[in-house]
Amino acid sequence: MKTKPIHPPSRHRALHVAGEIATYGTLLLAVLFVVAPLAWGLSTSLKSNSDIFSPTAQWIPPSVDFGNYLKVFSSPLFLRYILNSVAVVACALVLSTILAVHAAYAVSRFRFRAKDFLLFLVWATVMLPGVAIIVPLYLLAVDLGIYDTLFVVVLAYSAWLIPTLIWLLQGFVDSVPYELEEAAMIDGCSRLKAFYLIVLPLLRPGLAAAAVLVFVTIWNDFLLSFSLTLKDENRLLQTGIYIFVNESGIEWGPLTAAAIGSTIPVAILFALLQRSFIRGLTGGAVKG
Amino acid sequence: MRASKPAAASGRRRAQPYLFFYPAFLLVAAVSFVPLFYALRQSVYSADYLTTGGFVGLSNYTELLLHGGGLAAIGVSLTFVVGSLLLTVPLGVGLALLLNRPIRFSTFFRTVLLLPWIISQLVTGLLWLWLYDGRLGPVADAVQGLGLSFSGPLTDPDWALPSLILTNTWHSYPLVMIFTLAALQTIPRETLEAARIDAPSAWRRFRHVTLPLIRNTVLVALVLSTLHTFNTVTTVLVMTGGGPVGATEVLALKVFKEGFQFYRMEIAAAAAVVIFALNIVFTLAYIRVLRSERT
Repeated sequence: MKTKPIHPPSRHRALHVAGEIATYGTLLLAVLFVVAPLAWGLSTSLKSNSDIFSPTAQWIPPSVDFGNYLKVFSSPLFLRYILNSVAVVACALVLSTILAVHAAYAVSRFRFRAKDFLLFLVWATVMLPGVAIIVPLYLLAVDLGIYDTLFVVVLAYSAWLIPTLIWLLQGFVDSVPYELEEAAMIDGCSRLKAFYLIVLPLLRPGLAAAAVLVFVTIWNDFLLSFSLTLKDENRLLQTGIYIFVNESGIEWGPLTAAAIGSTIPVAILFALLQRSFIRGLTGGAVKG
Repeated sequence: MRASKPAAASGRRRAQPYLFFYPAFLLVAAVSFVPLFYALRQSVYSADYLTTGGFVGLSNYTELLLHGGGLAAIGVSLTFVVGSLLLTVPLGVGLALLLNRPIRFSTFFRTVLLLPWIISQLVTGLLWLWLYDGRLGPVADAVQGLGLSFSGPLTDPDWALPSLILTNTWHSYPLVMIFTLAALQTIPRETLEAARIDAPSAWRRFRHVTLPLIRNTVLVALVLSTLHTFNTVTTVLVMTGGGPVGATEVLALKVFKEGFQFYRMEIAAAAAVVIFALNIVFTLAYIRVLRSERT
């Protein structure tokens, strides 16, 4: 498209310029739409309390004050929420990925009894919305005596993520040529060994996408951990942010600091690892 | 682990698919199917918080739908979904078309425009709640600046749902955009070049060349977006809690409130079953459309 054989007539050029202006104008409007709530929150998080309650809306803080961030991110309770989220992400990541990668391998490489039916059941759970199972899951957890533990939270998130992870990873296993394993097995490798030594290392982009999906899902989810835990020491990050909304009103300064502060790590990772994010968050449907 | 006897080795080989597949399957079954059956059963029994009572047939459903505002909640949910789709789809598809053009700073635009996608529902709800604040927020400030009396987007019963729809659009259009963009990038340049010669009008090119090529992908994004919106609890809970006067009481929020605010587990179970059934209906409807239109 770079080389145009004929110089366009001036009317075309005017149209072309108008088109360019419309394109960039629309994109900039969309950027404003995206940025507005973020900028308003960021601005509030950097204001002192008296500036927050100023009667006219000020987009740019009159003086920058990091007090809200200090207050939130030095509070032991809030750090505990972050730590819990990190721990749950780590455990769920290990559990769900190990289970899913084996299942994905089985789906891709083996024939076994009732395979199609079992797969259908697994895919069907993708259609099972979280909100439909939190109430019974809560009742079940209470019955089993595991309510209000990080253990049940890890189990629930892992099970929730596994169907999408199988789907995602199966695509990557399919793209590994079977001849590689066959050659290894002829050389005396067991099937398991061939899987671990030959196939698994080739799945690295898939595993990265899987890790992103697990991380973002758990880091960002509010509903499940809110429903399955009660004690402060067992709550995750998003529930922790919600703490600043209480009966006596909303502490907007610390709240926006917590909201913006907890989003920054995800945003940075997103900017750096965009391909893995797109692959992971679309369950492998978009290659990225 | 060296196979000593051929029989043992072949037995192990036969068990292998199951050893690979079943651990994942069993965990999914335990956390998804068991609660689903639990909910199905609870929905036809009476209950007093955690104690299950006698069999009551469908009376929990009639209680939910007829007396508990369930039908109204389904109506609000449908308005929420349709209103969101009417904004999300044109916005997502339109921006994808622009991003697919040879533009400067395309990485910048793509990254920023995808940003709401990675922001949690809770943070989305809180940021917009603050933007919409009737006393201190810029939206109310601007409207009041025009000399109009306005209590704020979320406290006015007429404005609450449209305001939520706008917030939900902000959060869910990136999904449509990224799916569409991916589909657009699979269209070969030559196809578009050829179309450029045959059909000079940009709209007709889009309608007759581009759209048929991306339609299936857009439909998939449409399903995902519908389900996402229909099942949204957190944003609504945080921003309005269903108010004012039930104007934003969507069905998904109802499940949550019946369970965790009113502790009427039998009604919550019935609502959960209804919401699951509607999810299946939506998905099947879209699959039908997808199948019938693929010619």
